[in-house]
Amino acid sequence: MTNKQKPTIVWFQAITCNGNTHSLLSANSARLELFLNSFDLIYHPSLTVDKTLEDILNQKEKIDYLLVEGAISSNKDIFALKNSTTNDLLNKLALKANYIIAVGSCACYGGIHKKFEEDKTISGIKENINEKILKNLKHEIINLNGCPVHPEWILQTLFTLKAYGKISLDKEKRPIELYSTLAHHGCTRNEYFEWKIEGSFGEKEGCLFYEQGCRGPMTHSSCNKILWNDISSKTRVGMPCIGCTENDFPRNDMLETKKNIGIPQDVPLGISKRAYLSLTGIAKTFKIDRLNKKLME
Amino acid sequence: MKTIDLVERIEGEAKLSCSWKNGVICDASIDFLNFRGFEYILKGKSPLDALVYTPRICGICGQAHLKASVEALEDIYKNLNEPLTLTPKSLLLREIGLNIEIIDSHIKWFYMFIMPDIVKLQNSDLGIYTPLKGSRWLEASKTASETIKGLALIGGQWPHTSYMIPGGVMSDPTLLELTSIQNYMDYAIRFFENSISGVDFDTYLSFSNIKDLDLLKGDLEYFKNIAITNSLQKLGTSHDRFISLASSSLFDEGIIRQRTAYKIDLGKIKESSEHTFSLNKEENNSSKTTWSKSVSYNNSFFETGPLSRALISKESNRKFIKELHKQYNDSAMVRVLARMDELAHLLESTKNLISKVDISEESFIKPKYSLKDIENGQGKAVVEACRGSLYHNVIIQNGKIKNYDVITPTVWNLGPKNKNENGVAQEAIIGSPNIEIAKIILRSFDVCSVCTTH
Ligand code: SF4
Repeated sequence: MTNKQKPTIVWFQAITCNGNTHSLLSANSARLELFLNSFDLIYHPSLTVDKTLEDILNQKEKIDYLLVEGAISSNKDIFALKNSTTNDLLNKLALKANYIIAVGSCACYGGIHKKFEEDKTISGIKENINEKILKNLKHEIINLNGCPVHPEWILQTLFTLKAYGKISLDKEKRPIELYSTLAHHGCTRNEYFEWKIEGSFGEKEGCLFYEQGCRGPMTHSSCNKILWNDISSKTRVGMPCIGCTENDFPRNDMLETKKNIGIPQDVPLGISKRAYLSLTGIAKTFKIDRLNKKLME
Repeated sequence: MKTIDLVERIEGEAKLSCSWKNGVICDASIDFLNFRGFEYILKGKSPLDALVYTPRICGICGQAHLKASVEALEDIYKNLNEPLTLTPKSLLLREIGLNIEIIDSHIKWFYMFIMPDIVKLQNSDLGIYTPLKGSRWLEASKTASETIKGLALIGGQWPHTSYMIPGGVMSDPTLLELTSIQNYMDYAIRFFENSISGVDFDTYLSFSNIKDLDLLKGDLEYFKNIAITNSLQKLGTSHDRFISLASSSLFDEGIIRQRTAYKIDLGKIKESSEHTFSLNKEENNSSKTTWSKSVSYNNSFFETGPLSRALISKESNRKFIKELHKQYNDSAMVRVLARMDELAHLLESTKNLISKVDISEESFIKPKYSLKDIENGQGKAVVEACRGSLYHNVIIQNGKIKNYDVITPTVWNLGPKNKNENGVAQEAIIGSPNIEIAKIILRSFDVCSVCTTH
């Protein structure tokens, strides 16, 4: 395959911590190499050397995939790149793109940067791209939510688009196959959840839903199916899911469970609070020795 | 003559403006034109949420921010005379996690940010060092991602985990996992031997003499040869004053001024916004050119980072870099070699720390009361991050964050001048014969614009 036949990718960084870039670089290395051989990443501000953003803005050729990392603002006084606003640059690039992918929660919704209220214009890319441009894209904007996004989700989305030209999205415009299940799926603590056995920080045993604020049962993500860095996930080691793939991230008090009279305020998605409570009552009557013991002595 | 260059391939973007006289840079300013307002964002939040927010100040040194946050919060308990008990295990797991992040960052910095520019000084074809394509670039990227798996085994993932919490850590690794982390470190050590230094690891660690420079093979030899051809052993010198705020198993705190070492007094640190843009537009004028603040110790600028840490480290340690510094001062070449030398020592020291973890200890001991129940409290912490000393200072009132101040390493190194003297990197760049060299000198500080302005 010659270079010309490879679809081109431009990675634009707006208001970000660069976490999605480092997430990508932490991908499985065989997968990353396959990706670099299958696509032509013609521009990334911290990785490539051949072209500058200027060159990309001046080029006539279309960009196949425009990947955007970071939130967007139209306030040049607070955030300027190449003497322009991120909104301006985004629109110039979007005009050339066939596909646009928002990489990470900041690009999807403004993410953590939107909490900087002194700049009221900070938001996700969708709100910033000119309507007319949206109509000319080959696909609606794809949201790869997550703070940061899982590198495999980026690679799988790009490979799927390359093969089929489209990908099915949920109502948040995230690829259904990556975001239809919950972070709860595949969590090694599921059995403790089932029998309502509370966990504590620093232990392999117990579920983090009751005290530590785990959002696994209400967060769409495949963190526990497609493991991080090939081997791990937050809930597996004992950190609660903080719901970073949902549009309300970051919420308040992410490391504790909000409760009303001892009952979790939010219950697992799709179940009524009443049903959940009766279930809990029954589950708690079982005293399962195995689950109340340490896994290893 | 004046030139302006927008520098990419750092973490973020910097604007480098240079004035020239007789073919050398006679004045320079390094400006950062973006600001994300983390200190504003943190106001009014619950204290524990800082553990989720501050790692997101930076995608490459998030664990350093996490460690600084958790220790600043623990310092609040201490200042209220209710110090928390922490097990040796939890302290080790924090330090191991942070070290792995620094290891990852040093590898990436050398191959992604330094080598392409160095090779370009003599070759238009970057060969095996070509970003995204060259075999060595790919190998380095693979080594970084293998290494970082070690942190994922403790923290669940990298980047952006918040596994440290007042009272300890959230995770509880098994011996099997600790062994795997050792394996990942060994993988990086092999890469250091085969590709970076080209000599046996123990031989490298025994380097203590300026002549040992000639024993280097591999990419460091290649780097050194090009560096010397281009006088980088002479260029890039700054004030030759060094600071390191935190101690750990490998690092020691202290400052060095005119080759004499002194103890640190955190009270002598001062941040200034003299040249820093204000959110209140009316306060901005032509002397305000960057979003970076500047920070001084006892009214002078100090360099922070691996070179400082090597020089400040205890007598017998890091001999090789100390000797290089005696000969070549704080030049760009020494600064780069110091970071790669630190990589080797970190790998050795991290392996040692892993072997010390006693899994039978607790990972976490719950504090007696929540930070939310504290009416007034203040705490600070210092941590040595990839790029140097990081300082967090938090004030809570009625259970919420009232004020959060962060001073990052890059503010020490890349902040603007003050009335008395040039900023550290600014001083280093002055005297550069061309813009390529100026940019390499700038990069030798491991520039991170996201951290600088946070
Ligand atoms: S820890 Fe979280 S993700 Fe795991 S079982 Fe419990 S609720 Fe579900």
